[in-house]
Amino acid sequence: MTKPLEGDPLEAPSPQVSDNSQPSITPVTQTKLSGVQIVFLLLTVVTLFALWVITLRLIENDFAQSRTNADRSVSSLALTYEAQVVRAIREIDQSLNVVKRGFELGNEKPMLSLVDDWGLLLPDFLFVTSTTDANGNVTDSTRAFEKLNIADQDYFLAQLEFDQLAVSQPWIDPYTKLEKLTFSRRINTADGGFNGITFASVDASYFVSGYEVAQLGQHGVLGLIGTDGIFRTRRSGETIVSGEQTDYSQLVLNSDDLDDQQVRLFSNDWDQVQRYTVTTKLYDFPLAVVVGVSEEEQLEASKRLRKQYLQRATAASSIILILAAIMLYLSRQLQQSRQRVMDEQIAHAKRIEHLAFHDSLTGLPNRSYFSQLLSRGIAEAKRYDRHFAVLFLDLDRFKFINDTLGHDAGDELLIEVAKRLNEALRETDTVARLGGDEFIILLQEMNDENQLSAVAKKILYSVGKPFHLAGQDLRVTVSIGTSVFPLDGEDEQTLLKNADIAMYHAKEGGKNNFCFYSDELSADSLERLALESSLRLALDRGEFLLHYQEKHDLRSGEITGAEALLRWQHPTLGLIQPMQFLPLAEETGLIIPIGKWVIEAACKQANRWLEEGLPPRCISVNLTERQFTDAHLLDDIANILHTTAINPAQLELEITESLLLSNFDRALETLSKIKELGVRIGIDNFGTSYTSLSTLDKFHFDTLKIDGSVIRDIANRPSDKELTEAIISVGRTMAMTIVAEGVETQEQAEFLLASSCDQVQGFYFDKPSAPSLPNPGSPE
Amino acid sequence: MNPKKQKKHFFCLALLTICFTVVSVQAEVVVVVAADSPITSLSKGQVAKIFLGKSRRFPDGSRAVPLNQSEGSLEREAFYQLVSNKSPTQIKAHWSKLIFTGRGQPPREAADSNAVKRLLANNGVNISYVGRGAVDNSVKVVAIK
Repeated sequence: MTKPLEGDPLEAPSPQVSDNSQPSITPVTQTKLSGVQIVFLLLTVVTLFALWVITLRLIENDFAQSRTNADRSVSSLALTYEAQVVRAIREIDQSLNVVKRGFELGNEKPMLSLVDDWGLLLPDFLFVTSTTDANGNVTDSTRAFEKLNIADQDYFLAQLEFDQLAVSQPWIDPYTKLEKLTFSRRINTADGGFNGITFASVDASYFVSGYEVAQLGQHGVLGLIGTDGIFRTRRSGETIVSGEQTDYSQLVLNSDDLDDQQVRLFSNDWDQVQRYTVTTKLYDFPLAVVVGVSEEEQLEASKRLRKQYLQRATAASSIILILAAIMLYLSRQLQQSRQRVMDEQIAHAKRIEHLAFHDSLTGLPNRSYFSQLLSRGIAEAKRYDRHFAVLFLDLDRFKFINDTLGHDAGDELLIEVAKRLNEALRETDTVARLGGDEFIILLQEMNDENQLSAVAKKILYSVGKPFHLAGQDLRVTVSIGTSVFPLDGEDEQTLLKNADIAMYHAKEGGKNNFCFYSDELSADSLERLALESSLRLALDRGEFLLHYQEKHDLRSGEITGAEALLRWQHPTLGLIQPMQFLPLAEETGLIIPIGKWVIEAACKQANRWLEEGLPPRCISVNLTERQFTDAHLLDDIANILHTTAINPAQLELEITESLLLSNFDRALETLSKIKELGVRIGIDNFGTSYTSLSTLDKFHFDTLKIDGSVIRDIANRPSDKELTEAIISVGRTMAMTIVAEGVETQEQAEFLLASSCDQVQGFYFDKPSAPSLPNPGSPE
Repeated sequence: MNPKKQKKHFFCLALLTICFTVVSVQAEVVVVVAADSPITSLSKGQVAKIFLGKSRRFPDGSRAVPLNQSEGSLEREAFYQLVSNKSPTQIKAHWSKLIFTGRGQPPREAADSNAVKRLLANNGVNISYVGRGAVDNSVKVVAIK
């Protein structure tokens, strides 16, 4: 609502109120992380990091260990296997050699059974040992044999050329359907010629019977391969294969360093299994051994372990994260609730501050805040040699609105006016409410009268637009007085006073107006101030008195009543006429106590006349607008009737037509209540305004007073005569007493008599005068 | 199923039945030692250990030298089935491994029950098995516990 604080560098009491409409118990939306929370988060991150580093390191180590183990294990297995194969083949060779030597030394058949007897034959349920002659015909065997020739077999042909152990390709035993290997030795004649062979056959699987699943796994490999690249036998788990060709040169490296048993990890050609593989060429035979363990099997335990580790690490991480989240959440909750309490305290402090510096109704800065702003403005203007203006505003007729429409409507009006004022001004200007219907405006950097009057006009226009209040549209005007720093004052008080003076002049100049301060205004206003202060004192000092102008019955000429007329006996200025002080009294509200005094005094006078033995006279008293709308009017009248014990019918209250026009319903209500008290009601100055006949009918006035101006020229103006006759006729029809005022000539009196007017008053009959006795209502 | 095939199946079945009958008749093997041997009874496990090369001594500590019947003989098959519940193939694989890895030599073999009885009498071997029908005074049947 208030604009002035923005960009205000001083901000001493800091009534920061950029937003007073929200009681700012707004929820804490995004608070930043506190230091502790950041540390906590970092700790969490570090912990998680460490956890995973350690986990991954452990896994890596375990894999490395498993690889090393696999490597060592396969090396050791290969050494053992090589030794077993070499020994097994040597045994075969030795046994064959015994048979060979037996023949060569001239021993004849049955050579085999002889060797068997010596116990030097190969175990006959695994091996079949046989002999042939030079043509390949089988001559003897440890098994029953048919006559057959093996001259075309590789193990026979091999012995034709060289005298050394030969190994056959795998062949299938027609009886057992199993793969067999045959080892052969040449038998020489005495002169070294070829004399046949001796050979032993065995299941190829014999050479891989040492396969231990416990060591090699289901997918390891044991194999015996010829230098020709053909597997004599190969076993993985329970699967035994013979006769398969593979790339020997790639499988068995031709290493120079014979002691170097190299473990290689590669996908084996024959079954595509990735193995830690060792291949070793045998020294004495055209064979090599192949030993391998499956990488997958060897690393299986490690993989299981890895899975376990990862699961545990994941679980641990989850727990850590959950705990962290909970902790953080709780911490944030705590922080937020603290923040909330703090925010509430700040908001509370702001509210208090705001209340102290702002008007609670309109939200505008109040007098004390404005005072600070003004003094600050003065200081700045002095420093930078600037001008600024102070505008003093007072709503015209505000009291009337407050009294007629109620205080709520009055408050609503003030709020709306405050809003319009703010809208009409620049951001840098300040509007404050001093209280009641007074506003004050500070216009920054206002040098130029044209500019100032433009602002004033804008305000007049803005406030002058209709308001919709309490169900009706109404217009309010404002009177503005301005003073400019430093021309019209260099301090706060002078500026305010002079703006106030200018405002009064604007008001006197017809309201809905503005006025610049000048020194001449000041003189006028001093006079006025003097009048106002003495008017306040007048009642206490008993300076008021009533004069009475009698009312005469036209026909009988008797005195029927009198109109009470207020006079002010000023101690120095003498007798002051009502028109000189009543507007001020009306404006300042002094009319209320004064009016009360008038009614009471008039009633007492009526009593006095009765005491003097005069016939009862009806005394009429005028009510002003302010009196008529005063909330206490009825009570006051009732009180006076009670205390003076006057017959209510002896009191007549006169109102003007204009009172009826502003708020018809309310006026009707007030009038009927007055009538209920038994008091007469007259309508004064009839014929000067616009009262309609229906209005007259509705109010049931007791008396109708024709304004003096209507009859003034009846001698010359026939139309006035006709109007007068018409009014009298209407009044009579409505059973009202018709009184003509301002009768000054005999001609007028005669005309009125002829027109059946009831009563008259005026200079023709008497001038208003003090009653014969001193005023009775004067306080002691 | 066509009649011819059915006939063939029936034939196979009949042959199999005859075979089993023969086995069950001939399978009646007994463990024997030399007539003068002090061994009177052994458990199946003890006999199996001696014949599978896992033990070289009798429970009383004396040296045990087993003698097999020839490979493929019904007695041999029945014997191993009796003491170790192993098939000939399994026995062969067992010895194959033992021999290859250099951990032992299989028992010597005798051609038939008569040879067994002859060899048990005086030939270094001291435990074997024969068909029950072949038992005579030259050998002593060992009670199997």
